[in-house]
Amino acid sequence: MIAQTAPVHATPTTRPPAPVPKRRRRKPSLYRTLSRVLIMLIVIVQVYPLAWLFLTSLRTEQDFATGDPFALPSSLTWENYARAFETGDLGRNILNSFIVTMGANVLIVLLGMMAAYAIQVLGFRFSKFVRGLFLVGIIVPVQIALVPLFIDYSTVNLLDTYQSMIIPLAGFALPMSIYLFSSFFEYIPRETYEAASLDGAGPYRIFGLITLPLSLNTVVTVILVNSIFIWNDFIFANTFVLSEELKTIPLGLQNYIGAMGKVDWTATFAAVCVTITPLLLVFLVLNKAMIQGLESGANKG
Amino acid sequence: MLPNRSRTSVLVFLLPPLLLYCAAVLFPILQSLFLSFFSWNGISDMEFVGLANYVRMLTADDIFWRSFFNALIYLAICLVLQLGGALVVASLLTSLRRGRELIKTLYLLPAVISTVAIAFLFVRIYSIDPVGLLNQLLHWVGLGSFERAWLSDVNTVLAAVSAPEGWRFTGLYMLIIYAALIAVPKELEEAAVLDGASKWTLFTKIRFPYIRPVWITTTIMATTYGLRGFDIPYLMTNGGPGQSSELLTTYMYKTAFTSTDFGYASTISVFIVIECLVAVGLILFMLKRKADS
Repeated sequence: MIAQTAPVHATPTTRPPAPVPKRRRRKPSLYRTLSRVLIMLIVIVQVYPLAWLFLTSLRTEQDFATGDPFALPSSLTWENYARAFETGDLGRNILNSFIVTMGANVLIVLLGMMAAYAIQVLGFRFSKFVRGLFLVGIIVPVQIALVPLFIDYSTVNLLDTYQSMIIPLAGFALPMSIYLFSSFFEYIPRETYEAASLDGAGPYRIFGLITLPLSLNTVVTVILVNSIFIWNDFIFANTFVLSEELKTIPLGLQNYIGAMGKVDWTATFAAVCVTITPLLLVFLVLNKAMIQGLESGANKG
Repeated sequence: MLPNRSRTSVLVFLLPPLLLYCAAVLFPILQSLFLSFFSWNGISDMEFVGLANYVRMLTADDIFWRSFFNALIYLAICLVLQLGGALVVASLLTSLRRGRELIKTLYLLPAVISTVAIAFLFVRIYSIDPVGLLNQLLHWVGLGSFERAWLSDVNTVLAAVSAPEGWRFTGLYMLIIYAALIAVPKELEEAAVLDGASKWTLFTKIRFPYIRPVWITTTIMATTYGLRGFDIPYLMTNGGPGQSSELLTTYMYKTAFTSTDFGYASTISVFIVIECLVAVGLILFMLKRKADS
């Protein structure tokens, strides 16, 4: 968007860990020690609550209600997990989140690539204007769409469907996807296209045989970055979905607030642990790719 | 432009994405604008009321103004935690020799977790009975007098619902700023060090100007995300107690789906969009001007 002027085109993770000049060898400097301590402290603040969440899910209810919250559990129990699976339909919720995430990602990648191809590669008279129109979508808050979509959905009977979540999730993510794909397409040399054209390939074949295979890395980036937000979407699901069978993870978790506002906390925390596991695993396995995607994505735009 | 492209081929590639974008984003914006001039509860006939909704919002609605100022405080807290925290950690990280990748991963961890889970977690962190993490910590460091039910106290609730949002995304912005910082040419920094520049001068005179474009982007991202913040306050306190943690977004949501006042809710959401556009304009204006001077 703005940072087209950015001098950095991040390729940080591909280079070896930046060589630190040896100028500070003489003494273990105060600055360095201090910054280490500070980093450790901040990392603890970031990570401890999550570790605590997990520990609590293994505590007995008794221990949770009376004990010192920082203490290690006096005894470990899996009972909370059993209760968590009894109370809610966690498997169903995870499946629904998966369906919505997949559906939205297919649209975001495919349509984003097509739009970027039309704007950046094919080119047409009003391409600048259309590009600008899409980019506005990066700034616009999603809340503006809630009331109109709710009304439109109820007229066309789309309320309480997977599509009701997928459409706005994909629509609002599309601008960033188009932006990432067009910045990537800039790097594909024009000669490649011209050579293919001379061989008689039309725009469709060029898209399928050149552009698509070349952009696989960007596809991975776009999917990873969007999945974090879509998997965890609360606002669209909460507004458009009512029936139990369609509830995604964020809505499913809300079921753990009991009828009287009383919460079975240890079971709830067990449920939270179960539902964050899929995305957490993906994140930990692919974190290099994901981090690279986030870094490059924003440093380009 | 591709030499043998045809008008149809452009349309084939452009129309599907444009249709989705119009259906999900552009058309709803226009529809909100349209609805904001009506009074409508979703069932009875729509009644055209002209600017009455806007007049009511700007002159006669105390909750609106309360939510507006709350939203600004919420934004300020998020920005300090996210951008300030991100800049500090990213700078510290560049001075580290080992373990950078590990710290980046750990730091980003909260961003992967859903807001509902985070809301549950923080309700327990703030709680007083049973004693939550925060109150226990205060007790240990001898600040026991500050122990309180953070979410029921009208003086602390707004800060208490803002902090989790800041906590959640600071890792994201840290990554972006870190990537920009390590792209600062080493020769520039070394030359400055040879000239006897202190760490602070090095940062203000070399590093920061160099990453300014990225800083502008991150500021815009953080600001627009801050202004549309909704999930955590809605889930933790639903705007309460009273209106002490009500944001424009939660107020709009309740107006629309609890009071089913679709017209007035649309007026508020039009305001939120304008607010975002103004904020982005201001950021560009201020940061770009500084860059030129």
